[in-house]
Amino acid sequence: MLRSRTFRAKILSVNRLSDFTLPGFFLVVAATLAASEIVVREPARPGPVRITYWEKWTGFEGDAMRKVVDDFNKSQNRIFVQLLTVSNVQNKTMLATSAGIPPDVAGIFSSNVAQFVDDRAVTMLDDFCREAGIGPEDYKPVYWNAVTYRGHVWALPSTPATTALHFNTAMMRRAGLDPSRPPSTIEELSAMADRMVQKDAAGRIRVAGFLPAEPGWWNWAWGYFFGGRLWDGKGRITANSPENVRAFEWVQSFPKKYGPNEVQTFRSGFGNFSSPQNAFMSEKVAMVLQGVWMYNFISMYNPELEWAAAPFPHPADRPDLARTTIAEADVLIIPRGAKHPREAFEFIRYVNSRKGMETLCLLQRKNSPLTDVSEEFWRRHPNPYIRLFDSLAASPNAVGTPKLGIWAEYSAELNNAFEEIGLLRKTPKEALDAVTARMQPKLEQYLKRLELREKAEGWK
Amino acid sequence: MKRRNLLATVGIEVVLIAMSVVFLFPLLWLISTALKPIEETMRIPPVWIPSKLQWNNFADAMTYGADKLGYIPFLVYARNTLLLCILVVAGTVASNTVVAYAFARLRWRGRDAMFAATLATMMVPFPVLMVPTFALFRHLEWIGTFRPLWVPAWFGSAFSIFLLRQFFRTLPFELSEAAKIDGASEWRVFRDVVLPLCKPAIAVVALFAFMGTWNDFLGPLIYLLDQKTFTLALGLQFYQSQHGGTQWNLLMAASTIVVAPVIVLFFFTQRLFIQGIALTGLK
Amino acid sequence: MRIRKERLTGYLFAMPWFIGFAVFLAYPLVASIYFSFCDYSVLKKPVFIGLDNYRELFSDEVFWITVKNTAIYAALSLPAGMVTALALAMLLNAKVPGTTFFRTVFFLPSLVPMVSLAVLWLWILNGEHGILNEVLRMVGIQGPNWLGDPAWSKPALVVLGVWGVGNAVLIYLAGLQDVPTSLVEAAELDGASAWQKTRHVTIPMISPVILFNLIMGIIGTLQVFTVPYVMFPGGSPARSTYFYAMYLFDNAFLYNKMGYASAMGWIMFLAIFALTMLSLKLSERHVHYGGGGTA
Repeated sequence: MLRSRTFRAKILSVNRLSDFTLPGFFLVVAATLAASEIVVREPARPGPVRITYWEKWTGFEGDAMRKVVDDFNKSQNRIFVQLLTVSNVQNKTMLATSAGIPPDVAGIFSSNVAQFVDDRAVTMLDDFCREAGIGPEDYKPVYWNAVTYRGHVWALPSTPATTALHFNTAMMRRAGLDPSRPPSTIEELSAMADRMVQKDAAGRIRVAGFLPAEPGWWNWAWGYFFGGRLWDGKGRITANSPENVRAFEWVQSFPKKYGPNEVQTFRSGFGNFSSPQNAFMSEKVAMVLQGVWMYNFISMYNPELEWAAAPFPHPADRPDLARTTIAEADVLIIPRGAKHPREAFEFIRYVNSRKGMETLCLLQRKNSPLTDVSEEFWRRHPNPYIRLFDSLAASPNAVGTPKLGIWAEYSAELNNAFEEIGLLRKTPKEALDAVTARMQPKLEQYLKRLELREKAEGWK
Repeated sequence: MKRRNLLATVGIEVVLIAMSVVFLFPLLWLISTALKPIEETMRIPPVWIPSKLQWNNFADAMTYGADKLGYIPFLVYARNTLLLCILVVAGTVASNTVVAYAFARLRWRGRDAMFAATLATMMVPFPVLMVPTFALFRHLEWIGTFRPLWVPAWFGSAFSIFLLRQFFRTLPFELSEAAKIDGASEWRVFRDVVLPLCKPAIAVVALFAFMGTWNDFLGPLIYLLDQKTFTLALGLQFYQSQHGGTQWNLLMAASTIVVAPVIVLFFFTQRLFIQGIALTGLK
Repeated sequence: MRIRKERLTGYLFAMPWFIGFAVFLAYPLVASIYFSFCDYSVLKKPVFIGLDNYRELFSDEVFWITVKNTAIYAALSLPAGMVTALALAMLLNAKVPGTTFFRTVFFLPSLVPMVSLAVLWLWILNGEHGILNEVLRMVGIQGPNWLGDPAWSKPALVVLGVWGVGNAVLIYLAGLQDVPTSLVEAAELDGASAWQKTRHVTIPMISPVILFNLIMGIIGTLQVFTVPYVMFPGGSPARSTYFYAMYLFDNAFLYNKMGYASAMGWIMFLAIFALTMLSLKLSERHVHYGGGGTA
């Protein structure tokens, strides 16, 4: 009860907010707001056209691209490229494009191109390429194929890669194997792998010869090494083809032999790929399927490692599948709605010149996607196996990811099947039948909706 | 109350101590790992207490790769998180006090229906709103900025409105009547009479807003594009995916950096926290 | 005159919320109904396709896997969390020496941000170097492969959840402290055992608090996202931790199927609504209002 006037006055005077509270509050808010906007936006500067370029690479691969960007910026004074590192770059680029604020150039993977095209998230490069005189004859076919879709060019490579079997020669010797004779058939690979396994008294795996789950980046690709395909290129999912089933049977033979839980526990002790605790670098796994970049990580984290590389083995009864390799590329696109597409292409073109490309590929220790390779490139390339990786790119069995707009979902599905068979929860046939049964209607619906849209919106 | 027998007291005490050990253990392990040299994190049997305390793990985690391309130092994430927290807390306090005042102390048509609707919205899961909200911010061209993460805080939230309303209603109405007799406007009454008396309630709401922003992962995951705008929660996840399975000591040091401010804040505002959480359970 | 002015002031004061409610709640809610009937991706305009999304969802095997996973997770973690929280609160309410300390200890874990929580437990549960299995080994138990074995990945998440029940403990404690001591003493005079007191006096008195925690728990667990997203990328192993909100997120932002995601969102909303109503209905006979409450 506040009947007394003096008491009321007291409340009002003692407890009321100081005269500075509200202005102070809004001052703090305004300052924070200004700061938060500055963090996000680069202030506009006069001078050359600034284009933004989002790239996924960190570490030395990022440094390599930084060098090429610097070279480009120095080579002329009309365009300034600003390189930003963006994790999960394909998703972020898609979201930024949808929000109307895409970067001018984005470095995504060749496996993302189809989805980007189907979603109308990328600028067609046909005219730019024609003007610049860039055509299929300039590239190794597998990489040119990776940047084209539905008969148009949508991207150009930044760096390509091929994969091969990397094996630890010291470990082979210790297991009584001849390191100069790496496995040439899948059967030999399995037999050698078995000889190299070491377990401790408690039955825990300490060393493995080969595990299909390491590094686990190409879980979808094993079928290719057995002659399988993931779809027929028109409308049918072929995940459960006999070749693919055979591949997964081979994959499953490892957890069957070594015990699924033992393999899981063993793998959980592996460090991150880019670290000295990497399974191959720390001599926990003797043979791995890896890309051309592996040399660089070895020289960084365990230069003492004795290793060699050879084409990944093929099934003994399928000599025609010799020199099968996964040939993918990191690619540069111009997202739709980019503010400076012409300047962006100038930069992409520079990266795809022999000089730009060789600088980048030398620093990233990769092979060149171009047909025209300088002698100097070979001479200066530190990877002793660079000719092997380069020749694999020209192999008739060089394969890339299927060009499917629903690849993200399909590969998630295949990954899951890979896990299921690794845990012996399903037979390879069951797992791949399930993938096919699930993806077939999805593909049909996807293609149907795409067609409807193209009609409705008058796309080419 | 009747005196409890000694045996029961001792029994309860023992159980509580045992449970405390269980609850404290993960946090102690976090700190222990954060202070270890890398070799000692991998040793079997485990090293319980680091042989030498590696305080520089924290410095390393904070500035990791600051000189290298692509690695954004943790300090940047911390600054971004702090900026967001200030804007969200300010917005939450500014908007919800005003709105709750309208619900608690003013009469207007549709008030009770609106209040019921407000309570009901607490049932709406974020994922339902995710897609259209994204579309909305896309339309406003706010993707990639901090705005989607703090602007909504300036327009009220059901939970804060509810908490503040409950508080406001406990103040005697005579107080505002008296001020009005003195000729104070509604705004003056709100600002000079009600607000000052509700400082504890406002502090509770501010605290919850701070915690929510500090912890938020899904929002920044959807709306932030560029690493230099990432928040600590997002940065930690990025850090984990880059270094997981490798430098557990640095990863734990980074986690400690994310956890520590919240725990320090708790120790300073313990009473408010407990009051606030107890109030959450009000019917 | 006075009333009219007050009404106007009322609308003015409530204005921010009117705007916020309309823009950030009502509009998205209505829009998501519409989107759920559309083929819609981030870049493409929504195209009306009727009930296709819903039809597809009901025959989508992964949708049902995530429904099942989420239901199992909720069924395990809700009771585990509620029982633990209530038990701890009752122990704290016994007011033995050191209560303030214990209360702080139980509460601390719930302050740990979700991402840190996930990262910390990845380390604790690690197959090779995990300290939990090391501790279990010391007492002679061979711990499971928490993160790699589909049978144990969900229990691992339940353990994490129970570790973070501090919030609920405090809410129960507040409820327990409002139970009139006279009632408990009366029961004691009647010769009730500790269990009988708990069963017939304490629990009924705090039943509204239990109901509140139950409803909040349902809303929270059905949306579980951050911790499994960080700990188990893609819901591994073998989709045993692929939860509803994760699949919804993947559809919206990975597969660009925003219409499909909206349909999932609405099903989730309806499920939460139905479960909340069900809890309220079922509890009518068991929840005692009045007496213990403070509101």
